[in-house]
Amino acid sequence: MQRRLGTVAVYGLLLLWSLVVVAPLFWMVTTSIKDKNDVFLGPKYLPWVDFIPTGQWWVRLFTVEKDAVLYPYLNSLIVASISAFLTTILGAMAAYALTRVRFKFGPMKNEDILFWIVSQRFMPPIVTVFAIFVMYRVTRLLDTHIGLILAYTVFNLPLAVWLMSNFLAQIPRSVEEAAWVDGASLWTTLFRVVVPMVLPSLVATFLFCFVFAWNEFLFALILSYSRAQTVPLLIASQHFQRGPQWWDISALSTLAVLPPIAITVALQKYFVKGLIPIGK
Amino acid sequence: MIGKAARRQGRLFLSPTILLLLAFTLFPFLFTLALVFGEARFVGGGLQIGFVGTRNWARLFQDERFWNALMVTLRIVAVAVSLEYLLGLGLALLVDRKVRGQNFFRVLFIVPMLLTPIAVGYMWRMIFDVGRGPITGVLQRLGVSPVGWLTDTSVAIYSIVITDIWQWTPFMFLILYAALQAIPPDYIEAARVDGASGWQVFRRVILPLLAPASIAAILLRMVECFKIVDTIYIMTGGGPGRSTESMTLFAYAIGFRAFDLDYGATIAFSLFLTLLVAAMVFVNMTRRLRDVRME
Repeated sequence: MQRRLGTVAVYGLLLLWSLVVVAPLFWMVTTSIKDKNDVFLGPKYLPWVDFIPTGQWWVRLFTVEKDAVLYPYLNSLIVASISAFLTTILGAMAAYALTRVRFKFGPMKNEDILFWIVSQRFMPPIVTVFAIFVMYRVTRLLDTHIGLILAYTVFNLPLAVWLMSNFLAQIPRSVEEAAWVDGASLWTTLFRVVVPMVLPSLVATFLFCFVFAWNEFLFALILSYSRAQTVPLLIASQHFQRGPQWWDISALSTLAVLPPIAITVALQKYFVKGLIPIGK
Repeated sequence: MIGKAARRQGRLFLSPTILLLLAFTLFPFLFTLALVFGEARFVGGGLQIGFVGTRNWARLFQDERFWNALMVTLRIVAVAVSLEYLLGLGLALLVDRKVRGQNFFRVLFIVPMLLTPIAVGYMWRMIFDVGRGPITGVLQRLGVSPVGWLTDTSVAIYSIVITDIWQWTPFMFLILYAALQAIPPDYIEAARVDGASGWQVFRRVILPLLAPASIAAILLRMVECFKIVDTIYIMTGGGPGRSTESMTLFAYAIGFRAFDLDYGATIAFSLFLTLLVAAMVFVNMTRRLRDVRME
């Protein structure tokens, strides 16, 4: 009896937190299919019960406002995917060197170099953005794709190096060692031997970096304004220009969180696998 | 054995990462350090920095807005991170049991942490709206008078905290869950055989084994939380008054809205120092905690 009560409590709590997670998202999605009056005249909760859903804002988004929406969306896609690609390649190379070659720069050995790289993630972006802003002003990189791509590549590098060095430390080295004896270069062993083995980890690293670049706001706010405007910037500017036009911005926000949700579901097993080293 | 050529290539593999980090974090850090003791002026296309000693710091310490932003940030970090840890630990323990649909709950519980913070902030702004948001309607039905979630100076900061908890409890959950999965079942089994109660197993076996993961998770979350800005920017813009203005938002407003680069940099740098001190205090505190347990 007591045991059954315990089981009920466990599932009750799990469902309660599920509700906490889902309810706000439900509110956002349903707001995007509400008519103006259903937003302004007090809270309406359930579609088909409290209000009649309408797809008009979604249609508007893809017709009348297509350019205004599509442009930042494309910017975000370009910036996030290119920077994530660069981060993954550079991060994998650095991690490969750090897990295979013994370095010594003055007093710094491999672990110290890895720690230094990872610790760069702790620096608050607001501290470095002053110099990056001035650098970009001088080199005319403000409000360009290249500027944001560079900034996001560096912003995500510590994470990529850390994830990849965890993955690379786990794979056996016998094949690589045989290749080195035959005089193969690191380049050959990394791209011919190792990459095919760790392809899923590379994809996972890419997707993580993609999401963080996709979500980033502060750099985008300071380093871009119109041509290179990204999705988070679009949401913020719409919000301040239009005031309480909840329906439009809800649709935009829903559109913004779709890629991260898809990626979370795709990556679910890496979340636990990739993070276990931190628990030890 | 690794060849000589490969060894030379190792440096080549490492150098882009090191150079990029030097250019985008170490150099900017030194630049900010120069701004902190200087006065920035735009001359033509370039920037001139004149040395003014500790003038920016004197201004900072007399600035009420700075002390306010510091206290706001510290309060958000203290309340949000501790609640996130407790909730994350609770959820990890629940999902770690043999429950049905474990996979489903695990994925659902981590979803919020990867969502765009600006969209999350906007979502919660709508939810906390007094006239049109869903909470007021529910509260009224329960006979509770409406709360000015984002308009009351003493409440708004907790609305920000709630948003942060919603988004970042998943991070604590994720790390603690991974650590729980790594505990060998024999340990718990052995304690059970010796007659330990459920609470004793948790307190004497599980919690100590979770200590390293807990410390890492809290430290990482704390560091991130000190930088909080996105959700505040869109939910309250630092208001009402300045009751939710965090350090990053304050530095942004001064540096890039008022375009006072050197003072903005000083605020940003003071955030860095605060973060450093807080992290050091935390690491020291937990080290002592671990030593005590070892005795």
